[in-house]
Amino acid sequence: MKYKNISKLTFIFLLAPLFLYCSQEAPPGTLRRAFQTEPTTLDPASAVDYSSGVVTSLVHSNLVRVDPAGRIRPDLAIWWEVSGGGKRYTFHLGRHSFSNGREVTSEDVVYSFRRLLSPSTLSPRWWVLGDLEGAASYHGGGIWSGRGAEAVDDTTLILRLEEPVAHFLSLLSMPAAGVICPEADESQAPYGSNPCGSGPWILDEWVEGDFISFRSNPRFEEVDIPLDKLIYRFIPETMTRIAEFEVGNLDILEIPYAELERWKSAGIKLERKEELRTVYIGLNLSREPFSDIRVRRALNLAVDVEAIIARILFGAGRKARGVIPPTLKNTRTGEDLYGYNPRKADSLLEAAGLSDGFRMEIWQRESPSGGRILESVQAFLAEVGVEVELVTRDWSAFKQAVNHGTPDAFYLDWFADYPDPENFIAPLFHSENTGGKGNRTGYSNRRVDSLISAASKCLDDSLRMEMLEEAELIIYRDAPWIFLWFPVRYEAVSPRVKGYRMPLIFNGQRYLDVSL
Amino acid sequence: MARFILKRFLQLIPILMGVATVTFLIMYVIPGDPVLSLVGERYDAETLDRLREQIGLNEPLPIRYLNYLMDTFRLDLGRSFITGKPVIDSIREYFPRTLLLAASAMFLAVAAGLVIGVISALERFRWLGRFLMISSLVGVSIPVFWLGLLLIYLFSIKLSLLPPSGYGGGSLRYLILPAVTLSFASMATVARVSRSAFLDISSEDFARTARAKGLNEFKVYGKHLFRNALIPVITIVGTDFGSYLSGSVLTESIFGWPGLGRFIVRAILRRDFPVIQGSVLFMAVLFIMVNLAVDISYGIVDPRIRLRKG
Repeated sequence: MKYKNISKLTFIFLLAPLFLYCSQEAPPGTLRRAFQTEPTTLDPASAVDYSSGVVTSLVHSNLVRVDPAGRIRPDLAIWWEVSGGGKRYTFHLGRHSFSNGREVTSEDVVYSFRRLLSPSTLSPRWWVLGDLEGAASYHGGGIWSGRGAEAVDDTTLILRLEEPVAHFLSLLSMPAAGVICPEADESQAPYGSNPCGSGPWILDEWVEGDFISFRSNPRFEEVDIPLDKLIYRFIPETMTRIAEFEVGNLDILEIPYAELERWKSAGIKLERKEELRTVYIGLNLSREPFSDIRVRRALNLAVDVEAIIARILFGAGRKARGVIPPTLKNTRTGEDLYGYNPRKADSLLEAAGLSDGFRMEIWQRESPSGGRILESVQAFLAEVGVEVELVTRDWSAFKQAVNHGTPDAFYLDWFADYPDPENFIAPLFHSENTGGKGNRTGYSNRRVDSLISAASKCLDDSLRMEMLEEAELIIYRDAPWIFLWFPVRYEAVSPRVKGYRMPLIFNGQRYLDVSL
Repeated sequence: MARFILKRFLQLIPILMGVATVTFLIMYVIPGDPVLSLVGERYDAETLDRLREQIGLNEPLPIRYLNYLMDTFRLDLGRSFITGKPVIDSIREYFPRTLLLAASAMFLAVAAGLVIGVISALERFRWLGRFLMISSLVGVSIPVFWLGLLLIYLFSIKLSLLPPSGYGGGSLRYLILPAVTLSFASMATVARVSRSAFLDISSEDFARTARAKGLNEFKVYGKHLFRNALIPVITIVGTDFGSYLSGSVLTESIFGWPGLGRFIVRAILRRDFPVIQGSVLFMAVLFIMVNLAVDISYGIVDPRIRLRKG
């Protein structure tokens, strides 16, 4: 019958385009990666999220930068001297050019720093340079004294601090301290999508919702960049990113925990790195019964963190025995004060007058793995009579509630801004940083506060480390968190990629030694 | 006809006012703070407050509402809190991609759905007809997410025929998988509805007359029954197409398709009020337009249906 022919034709018509695609050759010289979420800007002053931080650091140079191993390295500055008891830094700039061809001078650095601090820029990251002399007053509406950042000549720059800050160079490596070309900032086009820096990469194309690409900066004088192009596609779904890697459309891929076993057994080369990140359940210390240290310790003892790491994370984590990732402490891990011990937890709860247990809420934001992890925490706590209700909110509502101290407890993580142990202690536990500044449990301990302040001014590295570790031990004993783990990140790297090293910190890889 | 269309356009005004008001109030009521997306971690209260001031969140609610209505009236949808980009520019960028996907999916759904509908009506007592109807039942019930991943696995990973995701500047091979995934449920519904429509009318007088004239089944279906069976199909197309045009979040997410759905969801998660309000209004206009087009096309397909005068 005729209609049968028609249906055959339709079938062929529908399937024909399938054969238009054959697996394509990977473009030479182009490294392809993916972001789960799209960056929002390339402006150093407003880049606050992970992907914006990564791309901003590709386009801009700083005075100093961090290498993949997390060490401070020269960037615009080829050398520097510290004087005045750690309050005066003199930087000597090398020859570098902006992507528009003009040479970078120390005036440009002053311009960029002043812009970050200016009240009219409204940068949430102004605190990165907030220790410069006169910075806080300028940010608060006062005049720019020029003492904080002074261009002596084209290649010499002096930065003066109010107080010595031991981790000052780490702060200077953050995306917010990136140096921009003043001409681009003063033009009509918004800087966030029309950046002009002196970094190794130049923004090539940004198709909203689809991808962002960079071409190598021919004027970047530090090294000859082996790659021509760098593309980050925006693919929200994990499974889709995996499929793209499997068909050869991506060169580097982060492997989610659940997939780890499969990839390991498939014999694919995986890069492994302990992240500068800590995962925890923060306890609301202003609320009963969490104000009682026995209860907090009991909660820590009741959760078998090792079991969760083994069964849910498939080993992709290291139990946290404190708050500073071991990578930042020469891999020292310290003593485990909270080995799984439900009996001891029971007796602590009994001593606190809670032998019948109690109810609590743990808030979490929507995340693929959070649910399973917290369900096992819930089960562990149920064994000692603590009935946990899990509350899930989207990120915005969650963050608002946690900053206002609404939940009893919250499941959260902390990413390092810069590779320094101070970054895991001061924002999270100094009493001045309560709320949105990072200390969301309301933890307050005078000894810890004074150790943090002293460490910040201490220019002797080993003494400083001792102070921070002492503060850490006090915090660990005080148990304002249920300490969970330091995650381990795995990345699959295509065999065509040479010289890639997974960076310790998000802005630590600028693809200068990576080739295809 | 002209009066009918004019009247429908006038009806747009109160509907859009309602949509604008409800969206605005929902934004105010739900927890979450847009400024928190701007500041990231380690912010101070002062910066938070200044940013709030700058984007106008410190104004009293009635004033914000009035400002919003006035701006909307001037067709100014505002700027994204997060990127600072005019909302209308973003919609201009995202909507054509959504339109491409929605139109392709709808084309597939109608073309394949009608063919399946006709075949299963003709072959209703044989295995092919039964098989097609069971398949379409599966098609209606299959979750988009699962289907999308299945297609990626099959056509991208196993057969290396199509790219797993991306937009590819709108090229055909990037379009196929998301379009097929998105079309699946509608295709199955069109098949089921058109089959029963064909069966209903195939016993009517005019169909019997056509057969009595000696026409073969193909001509009976093609020339005489087809247009009559289209009415319920158009209804489905109208509803589904309207919702496809406002973006299909799941399909777009699985296939990394940079469409309106993902754009809006991201804005909701960040509480980017101007983007949410602007996009919802835009979607409301689209929905109304599609419905209007459906109403008009009823009259074109079946002249017996006349649009009521004024």
